[in-house]
Amino acid sequence: MEHDREINRSKRHINIQRTWTPNGGWVANGVRSLLIGSAFLTLSSAPSHAAGTIAGTIIENTAQATYTSADGSIIEIPSNIITITVDELLDINVVSNDPGDIIALPGVTDQILTFQIANIGNGQESYRLTADTAVGGDDFDPALQMIVLDTNDNGVYDPGIDTTYVMGANDPDLAPDESVTVFIITTIPSTQADGERAEVSLIAEANTGTGIAGTSFDGQGQGGGDAVVGSTGAIDESSGFFTISKAQVTLVKTATVLDPFGGTRAVPGSVITYNLVATISGSGTLTDMVISDPIPASTKYVPASTTLETVSLTDASDADAGAFDGSEINIDVGDVAAGETRTVTFEVTIQ
Amino acid sequence: MIKYFPKAIVIMALSCAASSALAASVLKLSSNVFVESTITLSDGSNKAVLNKPTTVLPGDNLVFVVKYTNTSPKPASNLLVTNPLPAPVIYNGSHDGNEEVSVDGGNSWGVLSALFVIETDGTSRPASMRDVTHVRWEITDTLAPGESGKLIFRGIVR
Repeated sequence: MEHDREINRSKRHINIQRTWTPNGGWVANGVRSLLIGSAFLTLSSAPSHAAGTIAGTIIENTAQATYTSADGSIIEIPSNIITITVDELLDINVVSNDPGDIIALPGVTDQILTFQIANIGNGQESYRLTADTAVGGDDFDPALQMIVLDTNDNGVYDPGIDTTYVMGANDPDLAPDESVTVFIITTIPSTQADGERAEVSLIAEANTGTGIAGTSFDGQGQGGGDAVVGSTGAIDESSGFFTISKAQVTLVKTATVLDPFGGTRAVPGSVITYNLVATISGSGTLTDMVISDPIPASTKYVPASTTLETVSLTDASDADAGAFDGSEINIDVGDVAAGETRTVTFEVTIQ
Repeated sequence: MIKYFPKAIVIMALSCAASSALAASVLKLSSNVFVESTITLSDGSNKAVLNKPTTVLPGDNLVFVVKYTNTSPKPASNLLVTNPLPAPVIYNGSHDGNEEVSVDGGNSWGVLSALFVIETDGTSRPASMRDVTHVRWEITDTLAPGESGKLIFRGIVR
């Protein structure tokens, strides 16, 4: 937002003063000031972004005054110039990009957790990465195969294209506001039982240094100022999770017909009630289960006829689990533990 | 490069003119910038202190002090003090509230609440502190010999 606003502001300057000079907002501003009597150019450039003014930016301040002297002449004077350099703020943010636990099976290689590292400081900074597969408090530790940088920046691990990370050799070097996707590739031990969970964390720290907020590394900031540790400590970590799940689902669909005359013949005007039963077997939990069913040809969906576990659902895509989009029903069942069932019903009329 | 030469010459010419004005000047104008920080005293209370910085960080609170002094034996009148705001600094109000600001590079002036910003799409909105490009004070009273004053305003490093 700040970035956009800054650009807009520059554009405004260019528009206002293009008659003076066509080649730059703040230069134009300075030239204009000269013509109305200021003695000093105000050549300030302020590349700005979410994390603030870019490290190394020079802040120059000067005032000017005009006044009328006793003999009636108008005199213009400048003040001294104060120059201040903007230091580099070291800040980093690491987040897991996985929508939830990654479902994995025992003994499988190339199991991937996805993370995003963002430079939220105001200077160019490189970061070293560490994967911790032995985080305490979980059920098992996957074996680390490698950390991989998302070289082609598509958010998906591409074997042979994305680069394996080697600490000190290809530490991600990020401009302010820049981010990179990082994958942790692991092997799940073959002995893991259903439902067991593993936590894996990715740690990224600024190569210039880390510490409590305010720790200063003199002269090591971009642009010649100091590098100062920001509120993140210049180090951050985030966790992703694997869950072993052998849960499987079977879906059984049955239909009952009620004709307009109280019988069970399939004739125009008959109402068919479909009954879908999802049974989760094995062990563990099936996550984010969605049951979808297209409305058969030559039939018409009966509005608001969908139920989940005998509870009626609306057809709109809203807070409840059911939605009818004009051609199929979609029921967002959510997480279901092994051994449970979910029953969905809906009605159509034969055309 | 060549296209920059004419501008450079203009700047030099005007600088010379300014230098001669400076030599004849009897009013002294000085600018200072401080960074405000909070320290905790031994009794646990907090105190704001001002330091002269050589470097700052985004979010730092700055205090600008512009001091004017009439060093001549004769009065000076119609004093107008202007401070273009450095681009990396967001304006954050003045001490006396008597300033006028500009949000368009010094073209037009007024109290902030009366100013509007034209967006690139042609719509306008009320100006905010973030839009301020210049701040100035008109000192209406004639300045007697030896008389001085201070103008103080705040800014935040973007």
